[in-house]
Formats: sequence, C-alpha cells, structure tokens
Amino acid sequence: MKFQLIYPKWEKLEGQTVFHLPPHGPVVFAASLPEYVEVEFIDENVEPLNYDDNVDFVGISMLLTTQIKRGWEIATEYRKRGKKVIFGGISTMLHAEETMQYADSIFLGESEGRMEEVFSDFRNNKLKKVYNFINDRPDISIVGPARRDILKREFYYHKGIQMVDLFHASRGCRFNCYPCAVAYLGGREFRPRPIEKSIEELETIENNRIFIVDNSLAGSTKWEKELFKEMIPLKKNWCSHTIEDKPEVLDLAAQAGAWYVYQAIFDTSDYIKERIKRYHDYGISVEGTILLGLDDHTEYKIKKLIDFLLEIDLDLAEFTVLTPFPHTKAYDDLIKQNRIFNLNWNDYNAGKVVYQPKNMTVDKLQELYHYAWDTFYKDETQNQKMFRLMLKVANKEVENGTYKSRYNDLNAVSFGKDVIR
Amino acid sequence: MMTETKYVDDIYDYKGLWDAPSKCGLKIIRKSDEVIVIATDLYDKNPGTSVTDCCAMFATKLCEEKNINHKDLVFIEHTPDLKSKLSFNNETFYRVEFDWSDDKFCNPKWQSVSKKEINDFIEIK
Repeated sequence: MKFQLIYPKWEKLEGQTVFHLPPHGPVVFAASLPEYVEVEFIDENVEPLNYDDNVDFVGISMLLTTQIKRGWEIATEYRKRGKKVIFGGISTMLHAEETMQYADSIFLGESEGRMEEVFSDFRNNKLKKVYNFINDRPDISIVGPARRDILKREFYYHKGIQMVDLFHASRGCRFNCYPCAVAYLGGREFRPRPIEKSIEELETIENNRIFIVDNSLAGSTKWEKELFKEMIPLKKNWCSHTIEDKPEVLDLAAQAGAWYVYQAIFDTSDYIKERIKRYHDYGISVEGTILLGLDDHTEYKIKKLIDFLLEIDLDLAEFTVLTPFPHTKAYDDLIKQNRIFNLNWNDYNAGKVVYQPKNMTVDKLQELYHYAWDTFYKDETQNQKMFRLMLKVANKEVENGTYKSRYNDLNAVSFGKDVIR
Repeated sequence: MMTETKYVDDIYDYKGLWDAPSKCGLKIIRKSDEVIVIATDLYDKNPGTSVTDCCAMFATKLCEEKNINHKDLVFIEHTPDLKSKLSFNNETFYRVEFDWSDDKFCNPKWQSVSKKEINDFIEIK
C-alpha cells in the first residue's frame, strides 16, 4: 500500500536566515507504520507536491500552527481526487476540531502501537473520523528508531554543508509554562526513553551533528547524567533545549558533545548572567530565547533586556513575540480578556503581534521585536555568529577525528535549489 | 498551590477536551433564584484541560450533574494567586456569560470581576 506522507510548507519569518532541517515528527511517525505500508515522504518546504501521484492513502503531518491552513488546502485537493486523508502531529492536536472539517480522519496522540488499527480500518473502508489516544500514551520503551531513511537527504544541505539531524530522548514535561502547550500535548509526566534505546538510535544516525529536540532534558538529573555518560563514546556534537546547570551535569554534557543550548532569558538578573557563564565555563555556547510582550513588559523594560543580552556574551539570540497558541495559559488569559484580535493561524509565527499588549500599542511591540533583532545583531550579523558556532564545532570534530568535509556535489545547491551567485 | 479554601469546597473531576481527565476546585452556592458556581484553576494539580479551555462544555455537564437549571447558573472562573513574581499568576475572577443553543452552552464571554465584588456576591466577609 502506498502512503504519501506530507509535511506542509509555511512562510518563514521575514528578514531571518532561511534554513530547513529534516523534519522529526514524520520520521518518528513513520517508524510506527505497519510493515506492509510503503511510505513516500514529501517535505513541501523543499520540494513540490503532485496531487496526481498514484497513492492509496494520504497523511498530513503538521508541527506548527502556521502549517495548518496549508495542510487543509492540501487535504482539500486530495479529497477532490477521491483520496482519503488523515491528519496527525502536534498542530493537528492543537487545532483538532477545525482540522476535522478538512479530514477523513484525524489522529490525536502518539502513534506507536496504534497504526495497525488505523491502517486496518482504512483497508476495510472503516476509517474512523477521530482516533483519540491523547490520554492514552504508549509505553515510552516501544518508541523505536525514527525512519530517517524516508528523508530525501540532498534537500537538507546548504552549499555542501549538512544540516543537523533531529532526535528525541524523552517526551512530556513536568513544567507547564505560560506560553507552552507541551503539557496538553505530551502530558505533565516526564517520560524519558530507556537510555539504551536512545543510544541505539543515535548510533544509527550518520550525521555527527544532532539537535536533541526534547522540551527539556532537565526532567531527571539521574537520567540526564546517564544519557550524557553513554553518549560520550558516540562523539556527536549536539544542541538542545535547556539542560541543568549543575557542575556534574555540565561536565558530562560537555564530554558528550554539548555544542550549544537554548536558554530562556526573561529578566536581567544575576541568576541568568551566572547561568550563561556556567555554560560557557564548560565550553557550551548559548542561544538565548527571548519572549517579548508579556504583561509586565514596557518599552523601557524590553530595551533594558536587550542591552543586558549584549552584556552577557550570548552566542546567539532568538526573539519572539508572545503568541497565544490554543491550549496554553497565555491563550486562556488573553481570550478571557478579549485581547486576541487576530485568529488567522498563518500569522501565529511568533513574529507577528496577534493580541493587544498590556503596556504598549500593537505597533510598538512589533517595532520592538524588530528593534531587538536589529540591535542584537548590529555589530555581528546572525550569519556571522552562526558561522562562528559552525567553526567551533568543526574544530571540535577535527580534534576528535570525526570531521566530514563539505559534500562537494552540493556546493552550488541550497536546500535543493541552485544557489544564485 | 495557594488555593484559598473559601472559594473551594471540593475538588471536582471532569472530562476535559478529548476526554482528558481533569480537575478543578469547586464551590456551589444555591440561592433562591440562582446557583453560583466558582470553578478554581488548580494549575499544576490539574492534569488535563483548564476550565477556560472547555468552559461551555464544562458548564453544560456541570448543570446536568449537579441538577442546576441552566437559566439559574452564575458561573465564575477563579485563578488563585500563586504568589510568584510573574504577573500572569496573579489572582483573577471572571464571570462567564454563555449563549444557550441545542441544549448546551456556547459562545462564552468573560467579564473581569473584582475580589470584593465576588465576596459581596457570595456574601463572604
């Protein structure tokens, strides 16, 4: 049976370096498909779709809220041609009721151990409108190695340099942060994969550079340390979201190849300054993630925060405006206060203001968002800072003998398209 | 969890979105002409959907379960003060008005109410 799995395209943020990473959700999902399913994956961000391909069943995998309207358009075209369409993935779960209108079926939850039923129903023409496993999560130990073989690798190179591969070692998050929907999506319980399963999967990834996409590796110190310890012999270099900043954790993380970590920066405290320093002391770079537009943010406070970022020697910074994604406390609060004025999901890209800020106009917050990017990258551009990080990892790889030179055949190609010089 | 008990008599288990097992604090005050319901957010102690996120469905099912005439319902959402530095964890009260259609509530609209108004309303001194 031919199953076409589609990852809809979305509009990238204005003025930012465009790059495409190999998607993670679809390859994890593909590992849960029955053996008789022949899957063809299309990442619409890097290759065009052909609605008339000879396929039996269509799956649309959506990660971002900015993908959903495009996902609905794609489904409509396939359904016009008589194909059945099933939706899954994070933003399907966030926008389930709306998505049902465009779907033959939606799958809610984690797919491991569930796809035999779904595909059997499809083959018997008994596809259900909803497969609701949102509260019935599979045993984390059955999460197998992702099916990265479905990726068309040549699309994930920029001028001969391979992009990082994505990998996950846990699901769920014990935190329930204001702008985040992970508690709704993956549950409040931190569910680490067995260490041996994670290591087994990492060993299958040929790429030396990995992005560990877990929401937080800081769910269990014991597990986190054990994971890092077992990763040391693999000689991978990786970036991730927050890790704990205890010396024993940082020491093991550095040995395991910690390249850079994301760190939320929400104030100008010594706590933040010292935390960044601790990462740097262990040779781990830091990309700050800065959320603008919280209710205690004034123009003065945002400008002061940006000045602070320049003082603390951050390696990279990423600015976003508060975006009230459904099923978050931010959404609850702003909808109650009648402050959300834009429900066009294409604008929910964390770069556009879609709600009325408390202490300034919409235009002022939008202006401060651009001011933040421009000011932080005034003396050294984002590309230059990223190049420095790339150089750092390349040097580490040369030292430990894992460096792979550029793939010369793709020197004149960027994400599948010819580079115009 | 800084839940003031004067607004919570019971912990109420309900099915949230997609049947997610969920919890909130609940206080029901029955008066001659109205039934005041205060649903209190339990933050991290709620494993499922917030009351706000499934407000109309929640109110409909609550009326069925607690034998409340929908016309008599006065529905209050309460988020307690978490005593944190973060402004979004301050205490709030909202009175929620709904439309009624096809035997269920729909189209919730929230109106902020002060603590004093709530206390006066439910006669807490």
